[in-house]
Amino acid sequence: MTAEPRLRSARSAPVQPGSPPDLGVLRLPGFWIVVAVLAVGAVRMSMIAGQFAAAYPIALLTAAALFALLAVPFWFVVSELDFLEREPLGLRVLAFCWGGLVATAVSIPASAALDDVIAKLGSPHLAADWGAALAGPTVEEIAKTLGVVAIVLVARAQVNSVLDGVVYGALVGLGFQIVEDIVYAMGAVALAGRGDHVEPVITTFLLRGFLSGVWSHTLFGALAGAGIGYLVVRCERTLRTRIGVAMLGVLGAWASHVLWNSPLLRDGLGNGAIALLVVLVLKGLPPLLLIWLLVRSAHDREADYYAEQLAALDDPELITPAEVEALKSGSRRASARWHARVQAGFRARAAVRRLQRAQARLAVELSRGTEDLGRWCREVRRQRRILNRLGHPEAVVPEGKGPWRRTASAVFSTALAVAVLWAAVSTLGGG
Amino acid sequence: MGSVTRRQLTNLLGALSLVAALGGLAFGLPALDHALPAERSVPVDRPYDIGGGVTVMPPPGARVDVTETRPTETSGTVLFRLGPVRYFISVQPFDGDLRAAVERLRQRITGTSGYQVTGTELTVATAGGLAGLQGGYSGPGRGGRYAVFVADGHTIEVTVSGADLDLGRTLPAIDASTRTLRSAPEPAR
Repeated sequence: MTAEPRLRSARSAPVQPGSPPDLGVLRLPGFWIVVAVLAVGAVRMSMIAGQFAAAYPIALLTAAALFALLAVPFWFVVSELDFLEREPLGLRVLAFCWGGLVATAVSIPASAALDDVIAKLGSPHLAADWGAALAGPTVEEIAKTLGVVAIVLVARAQVNSVLDGVVYGALVGLGFQIVEDIVYAMGAVALAGRGDHVEPVITTFLLRGFLSGVWSHTLFGALAGAGIGYLVVRCERTLRTRIGVAMLGVLGAWASHVLWNSPLLRDGLGNGAIALLVVLVLKGLPPLLLIWLLVRSAHDREADYYAEQLAALDDPELITPAEVEALKSGSRRASARWHARVQAGFRARAAVRRLQRAQARLAVELSRGTEDLGRWCREVRRQRRILNRLGHPEAVVPEGKGPWRRTASAVFSTALAVAVLWAAVSTLGGG
Repeated sequence: MGSVTRRQLTNLLGALSLVAALGGLAFGLPALDHALPAERSVPVDRPYDIGGGVTVMPPPGARVDVTETRPTETSGTVLFRLGPVRYFISVQPFDGDLRAAVERLRQRITGTSGYQVTGTELTVATAGGLAGLQGGYSGPGRGGRYAVFVADGHTIEVTVSGADLDLGRTLPAIDASTRTLRSAPEPAR
């Protein structure tokens, strides 16, 4: 006798899709308090921006434009992490603004104060060596984590998996990262003492955007967000366990940040570009791998749950068994889109993407127990008709190990990224 | 009007806790910082290591303000306080000449609202042979003096500020201290 297999989502992390956000949020005092806090943060950061604009208008515009451009790919990647149940745009914007306006406004005076306290209780040497590694992470990780807490206060029902916490945490971190980078760039302009010049902005962009961008606040915020997500979602566990895991998440973010800012390995591997790259990898890779494993695990659990909802429909016009399998992982979804492009062109690729999006939305509505699914079913069928007309009726992954050209493309992209990184390091004098 | 629900009350308490945590960071930490003394006595009979291989003999009666003192191997800052007078020295890596270093500091001074450079620049030299330029500046209710040296791939910027009366009283000792600036090249790594 064999036990009935249970889904990972049922075993460990039940997915509890919440109802879509509505005007009921306006009746929550927390909503208005969070809005007020955001307004105060916006005023404070506007005053700082105003000072920069008065002294260095061109440099400020350049910095804002460059870092805003840098934010775009990060925004899309983070938003796509939870493909099956995308977070509402309003909440994603709220998370980003918390990071950019509130966490920064709080961190600027608080980090400086804690750095001074380290110098006073320890010594100026300790503050010079470890101040940035201790003060910044301590203040900033708390301020950013409070952003995920704010999301929970405003829309508890929208945080229904650990992955949601990851997404909101990453977006808070992204907002923080972008605004902090702009402030750093303007600090570099002021320090250079050459007036309203953009060279220090470019240098800061290369250094903080390219070299530190991948494993910076977005990553730390995601780790802390995963902890808060666990605290909120895993109601079947004891409160002590949930609080412990949440603290572990925040501690992980703090430790990753401390390691990144620390003087460790600063002089240990020489001065060349390779040495600098190795240090970047050694300091940045552990949290990157950790969050990748976390995201993958949380995503797979969620995918199991939604796939079961769709499979129960037993309607091949809505979704075929092969499409259910393709929908369950990001790489298989991408492979299915790639396969559609190769077989039937770009229109088919776009149609597969829309089909996958509609199927995911249908799964969420099914999970919510929505009685009238007509709207969502119609959208799936519409995309199916388009695919039928294009001669590619099913959004599936081709048999075998996968298209070699896609693998080659990934290798090429990685090589290009390393080359850009190398060029940035060399430009900054690492080589 | 409806009554307050349990959910709204919990939500309010959560939000107030959130604000309290933010307030603790934004106001509590600066308050703690202000509550702790920043100044420490410093021996005036031996060179003080600023950072980047640069040393100076502190003026008699000076105390170090640890909030603006950050010595590292490649750069450093130190703030001495002589009563209300600030005597600040900054050492930073620099690959330009003396004229460029002076211009950089002047830009930063005049870039601060209400501050302007006054008078003419004079050459200045330290006992160890460093050649530099010095001048004056003024700001709201304060006067100031600056001096700039370039040595061993570093710029050494000295700024002194305070009320005119206090400056007049302390400048001779500060000038004597500035003349003790020495730069030792960083050991090859």
